Formats: sequence, structure tokens, C-alpha cells
Amino acid sequence: METRIDSEAFDRFREVTSSIGNSEIEAWKQAGGKVVGYFCSTVPEELFTAAGLYPFRMRGTGSTSTELSDGCFSNINCSYPRHTMNQALLGEYDFLDGLVCINSCDHVRRIYDNWTVRLDTPFVKVMSLPRKIGPPQIDWYYEEINLLRSDIQEHFGVEITDEDLWKAIKLHNEVRALQKKVYEYRKLDAPPISGAEALPVMVAGTAMPKERYKILLQQFLGDLEKLEGSSDYRVRLMIVGGELDDPEFMQVIEEQGGLVVTDSTCFGTRLMWRPIDESVADPVRALASYYIYDRPSCPRMYGDQSRRIDYTKELAKEFRVDGIIGERLIFCDQWLVEHYMTNADLKEDGIPFLQLDREYILSGKGQLRTRVQAFIETIEGMRS
Amino acid sequence: MDVQAVKTQSLARYKEERDWFALLAEAAKQMPTSEGELQVKLLEILLDSKQTVVDCVENDKPFIGGYFCNAPELFHAMDLPWFMLMETPFLAASAPYLLNDIEGAEEMGMGTDLCTAIRLPIYYIENGLMPVPTALLGLLYPCDGAPMLHQVIEHNKVWKDVPIYACDPPYTSDERAVQYFAEELSRMVEFLEKHTGKTLDVDRLKQVCEESNRTYSLWQDYNELRRSVPSPHGWAIGGAQAFAISQCFVAGDPRCSAWFEQLCKCAEERVAAGKGASDQEGWKEKIRLFWFDIMPYGWIFEYMPWLESEWGATIVMDMFGNFPYTLIDTSSRETMLHDLAKRNLLDAPMIRQARGTAENFSNDIRRIVTDYKIDCVIWPGHMGHKDGSATIGIMRDTCRELGVPFLHIGLDLFDKRYTSIDEVKDKTSDFFRGMGLA
Ligand code: SF4
Ligand code: SF4
Repeated sequence: METRIDSEAFDRFREVTSSIGNSEIEAWKQAGGKVVGYFCSTVPEELFTAAGLYPFRMRGTGSTSTELSDGCFSNINCSYPRHTMNQALLGEYDFLDGLVCINSCDHVRRIYDNWTVRLDTPFVKVMSLPRKIGPPQIDWYYEEINLLRSDIQEHFGVEITDEDLWKAIKLHNEVRALQKKVYEYRKLDAPPISGAEALPVMVAGTAMPKERYKILLQQFLGDLEKLEGSSDYRVRLMIVGGELDDPEFMQVIEEQGGLVVTDSTCFGTRLMWRPIDESVADPVRALASYYIYDRPSCPRMYGDQSRRIDYTKELAKEFRVDGIIGERLIFCDQWLVEHYMTNADLKEDGIPFLQLDREYILSGKGQLRTRVQAFIETIEGMRS
Repeated sequence: MDVQAVKTQSLARYKEERDWFALLAEAAKQMPTSEGELQVKLLEILLDSKQTVVDCVENDKPFIGGYFCNAPELFHAMDLPWFMLMETPFLAASAPYLLNDIEGAEEMGMGTDLCTAIRLPIYYIENGLMPVPTALLGLLYPCDGAPMLHQVIEHNKVWKDVPIYACDPPYTSDERAVQYFAEELSRMVEFLEKHTGKTLDVDRLKQVCEESNRTYSLWQDYNELRRSVPSPHGWAIGGAQAFAISQCFVAGDPRCSAWFEQLCKCAEERVAAGKGASDQEGWKEKIRLFWFDIMPYGWIFEYMPWLESEWGATIVMDMFGNFPYTLIDTSSRETMLHDLAKRNLLDAPMIRQARGTAENFSNDIRRIVTDYKIDCVIWPGHMGHKDGSATIGIMRDTCRELGVPFLHIGLDLFDKRYTSIDEVKDKTSDFFRGMGLA
């Protein structure tokens, strides 16, 4: 991918996100460190940082087939877990010392079952994430986090004190604040960074230790400040959806003249738009409230659609977007129905919306281009 | 569409559905056997429940929308009529309007990868074809589709004023999970009391749960009889019907136990006479089959009799006829809620297999194959069952371990156009032949 950004930090971000294994992991393991993988942005990664573990968000980057995982899944399953499992069966995840799965959706939750049958990672757990967002659910997740905390302590022979947790929460919040600064640049008329460039910056935050990432992110912000923006685009777009870690998808959209200036995705703003509340007494309570209620939710959380659409509209306004693209991985029931409601709500406000179904590993670029072009033309037509 | 228009239109549709069942009941009356009598009784109970809902809508009496896994004994004890929001695809899958409805859902953007049992109710809600209840109990498990349906309901302009409560299902299955779910059920009762004006009397609940236990004991006895070779009954009676009557229509009602008593009697007579399900139809049981899902309601009459007549394949057990139920300790409100939670979280079909981790898929296969002397397992691969489809490797391995052949078809249980009936039959025939079962 061509880029105007001249930054060593940015190069590191791109390097660590272009494949699964990366040099950061190698260095960490050589120093005797342990790495724990996790699925979904609702797993409290602060816990791993507090335990001195390297948190790694699971992806299927670089996968070219699902030949091996086809024995586990079928052709009506989402391509994200299929490619990710395939990578694992190929040995790409052999560096993991542990894995934490979660019941985020019908496809991803089965990774836990298949992983425990087919692979021998020493520590594999599954968290029970509630479907609702009320106080009893916060209490339930509070217990879940504490149970995971005990399991980690026992398995890895570490102690996770409340102080460790607060330190991790502060660090992750600092990272969130820095990531928000990157997004501030995207509000400009002439942003110095495109959507395809911003994505690896965000994904890198889930692929390297937070302390190291924070330093690089500070450097990156310094580099970004010096960069001149570009107003060479036709419309400003927002992406709403789930598991999107592929900059190429963004690039195809941007090549048609639609600059992606913001998003509500699970590698995007939903990771960092709001911080964890540091004013409460118990750090685990702070984590439970954050992951169940405070952070922007995804359609998997029932009863929160009205807050979700408000969040989408708020961001659309703040970033002055001309249209919204709802991306969805084929076979995802959650995003299919969510986009149906989003479309209806945006129509009432006159905000153009396009739903794009895709595979995890980008295919059908020609069709994608055509649909995006037509969408951009529609938006332009509405202006004139 | 305003509330009044929805009321009129949905009532007309609901009556149409009721009349469809009345027609089926008339046809069932022509069957001269005891099993035929059971079908008629079941259809009459179903018609009665439909008529009660019609009466509630017409006369502004309280009634609720709910599900079989929301502990229906509780609504029964509260004297609350209810209907299941997803019932059309299950019950009236053969109804003449169903294929048009599926097309309507597709036109709305609910494509062919969303479970038909979800996209149809979405279509009904959005098009004013579903009776609007006084209060609604949502469903957040076992699949991703169910919570999405209920979010559409909350989003819908007519339905958004209907009070809704949905129990949150934990993903785990230990005592902590059961306790948590029991508290959710308790909050559900508070919600119902607040919005329907009905109350839950503990003595009445005790009575209902005791009756429900009686039903379930009879069901257990019946399922013991199905172990016989040949099996006294196949797909046509005793599986899905046993589930429907006990959990969907008259949970904890003496009519339900009476139905099971008669069912046991029919089966006992057949077993004593060494007769199988086949004897009344003139075919012989050659293959004992475990159909591991819901029945293919959209084309059941085109496939199930064919399995029997063409291959001598008896569905000895299916997912909904499977009996793992916990009996309820009726000593107090707490014990009843606890055991109802356990039953509705860990035992109820589909919820049992699909809600949590995959071990229940393999455990059920293991238990049923052994107990019922099963020759082969068919996982139909319904297009909505994504978690199950992500478990096929585990199911296949389990069957391999047990030495029984396993078939995964890939179809839509409610829409026969997804995989044509001929293709399903061809796959089945190839499987029976290839595995030496023919
Ligand atoms: S995109 Fe949908 S199906 Fe795929 S992992 Fe996410 S929630 Fe699950
Ligand atoms: S996917 Fe299965 S559990 Fe979910 S609605 Fe469809 S039939 Fe029911």
C-alpha cells in the first residue's frame, strides 16, 4: 500500500500487522515473556497486561485458504474464525502460551471447542459474556473477570494485585487517549491520514505490548503533526461494522474517492472512544462496567440499539461524514439485522447508507469498486 | 401502519393460521388408529390455544408473547395465555402463504443466510402480521438470530411500546449459571406481574409443577419404550409432538399428562405385540436413525414418509423428542425457580445443545446412539444453525469413535427451495448406500 506517511513508528505498525507472528513477539518470548491470545474486544485485555502477559488479539491475517479448518467448520460459517483457525492449525499461532475465547457470536464461540480438541495450547479458557447490559449482568461479568484473574494467577504463577490492575487500566486509558488524538486529525478538512492508514495503527495496538505501543504511538503522533493533509477526495465516509482488520478493504473504498474519516468497528473507535472509569474503588468493577455498559456496544449486546445508533449519528456529525458504509462478514446474523435497523434510522435523518457484505480475506474487488462508486455518485447527486 | 391497523391485519392472519390447523385436525380425524386420535387431541389443544389468543385480542384481555424455554409453567400458574413468536415456521410451515412470506422477508433485505425462523417473524413484525401482546418475553439464546429478532421488535414503531423482558442466558452450565438464570426468571415474574396485573401464587405454581413432573415422568417412560427394536413409533408421533404439548401448549396441565398416558399405552401395546412404527404402514424397520435437529417442517411430508417407505429408516430419536429433563423440587418458590431455570437452561432442546460449549452435542450423540441402538446420525445442517455447523468436526469425530456413520446435509428446515427435496433425498440415499446401511 502506497503511503505519504514518513514515520518509523508507522512502519513498525504496518510490520506487526501484516502477518500474525511479528518481531515484537519474538523479542518478548526471547526475554522469557508469555503471550496470551484473545478473541473479541469484550475480553478485558487489561487483565493480561496486569499479569505481565503480552495480549494478542486473534486475527487470520495472511491466510490463503481454509483447507485445514474446513474439518471443523462448515460453509455457512463466517470466514473470520475459519481463516483464523486455519492459521492456528498451520502452526502460525504456536507462539501462544494461552488463549481466552468468548461467546461473542455463534461462529467465534466454537473456536474454543475446536481449539481444545485440535490444538494443545496449555491454557485455554472461555468467558461467559452476558447478552444484556444491566446491573445483574455487570455483577455476572465482575465474577467472570475475577474467575479469569484466578485462573491466570494459578496457571502462570503470577499475582495480579489491585494495584497492578489500576496500573494496567491507566496505561490502556492513556493509549485510548492517544488513539483518539489520531482520530482528531481525521476530523480535519484535509486529514493527514487516510482510513487505510489509520487501520494498521489501531490493529497494532492489539498486536504488541501496550507500553511499547504507547511509546510508538506518541512518536507517530509527532510525525503526523508535521505531515501536510490531503483534501483529494470526493466524499467523507464512515464505516460501521464488526471484525475489520484489513486495510486493503479501506483502500479499495478510498481509491474510488471516498475518504474514510471515522468508524464504529471493533478495531476502531469502539475500542477507545470512551475510557475506563478510574474513579471507582474496585478495578475489577471498573472493568466489568466498562465492558458491559460504558463502552460503545456491538449488536451482540441486546437492548442497546438506540444507544448504538445515537453513537453512530454522533460520530457522523463530529467527523462531518457524507455517507455511511455498513460492512458485514457474510453469515453474520448480528450485523445483518443491525444494518437493517441502521439503514432505517439513517434514512429518517437523510444520511446515505450502503451495506457491503464481504469475506474476511478480500475478494470480489471489482464488484466492491462498482458498488462504492455508485454510492459516492449517489451522495454527490444529493449534494447538487 | 398504526396500532389499530396492525391489530386488524394481524388478527386476520392469526385466524387464517388457526383455520389451517382446524383443517389439519379434520384430516387427522380420518386416521382410524390410536396414534391418529393422539394427533387429533394435540391439534385440538393447539387450536384451543390459538382461539384463546384470538379471544384475548378481540376482547382486550391480557396475553403474552413468549417461548418454550421461558419456563411456561410460570405463565400457566399465572393463568396467562401466551403464544410463541416464532411459531409460524415451526407449526404452520406447510401453510399455503409461507413461501410468499419468505420471499417478502428476502425483499426486506433478510437474505438467505439468516435463519428462516428469525427472518419470518421479523417480516411479520415489520409488516403488521403478528398479534401485539400485552407484554413480551424475549429470547436471547441459543443463537445470534434470536436477540436480533427482539432488537427489531424494540425498534419497531408499533411494538416499541410493548413492555419486553428477556432472560439473560449465561454461557456456562454450572450451579452458578443456574442460580443466575433462576434470578433472571424471578425478575421475569416481577415483570409479568407488573405489566399484566396477574400474580404468581406459590401454591398454584406448586400444583402446576407437580403436574408438569407427572408429565415428564410419563414422557421418560415413553422414551424408554422407544428403545425397543423395532421402535414402536417414528417421526409421526411422540417426538416433536411430545415436546410441543409439554412445553408449548399446556405445560403443567392435566390434559398434557393425559395425552402422554395415552401415548405410553399405544407404545406399550405395540412393543408387547412386537410391532414397530412400520407395521401400520407396511414397511419394515431396517435403519434406526437419530435425526439431530428440528424436523424439516417446510417439507416434512415430502421427506419423512419417503425415509420410511424407501429405506425402512425409522427416526427413533430426534433433538426435540430427546428427554434429558430435570424434575422440579416443589418444596418452595426458590427450589421451583431453581429447577425451572435448570430445565430451561440446560435441558430444553436446541437450547441444551446450542446455548453453551459444544460438549452437549457430543454427549447427546453418545448417549442416544448407545441407548437407542442407533445405526446412523443425521445432522441436517440447517442454514440457521451456525454454531452447530461450527461443531460438525466434533460431531463427526464422536460418531467415528462410536462407529456409527454421520451425515451432514446442508439445508433449510423451513424452506424447501434452499436445497431441493430431490437433492436432500439423493444425499440421503448415497449416504445409506455408501455406508452399507441399505
Ligand atoms: S463478523 Fe459476525 S459472525 Fe463474524 S466474528 Fe464477528 S460477530 Fe461473529
Ligand atoms: S438458528 Fe436455530 S435456534 Fe436460532 S432461531 Fe433458527 S431454528 Fe431457532
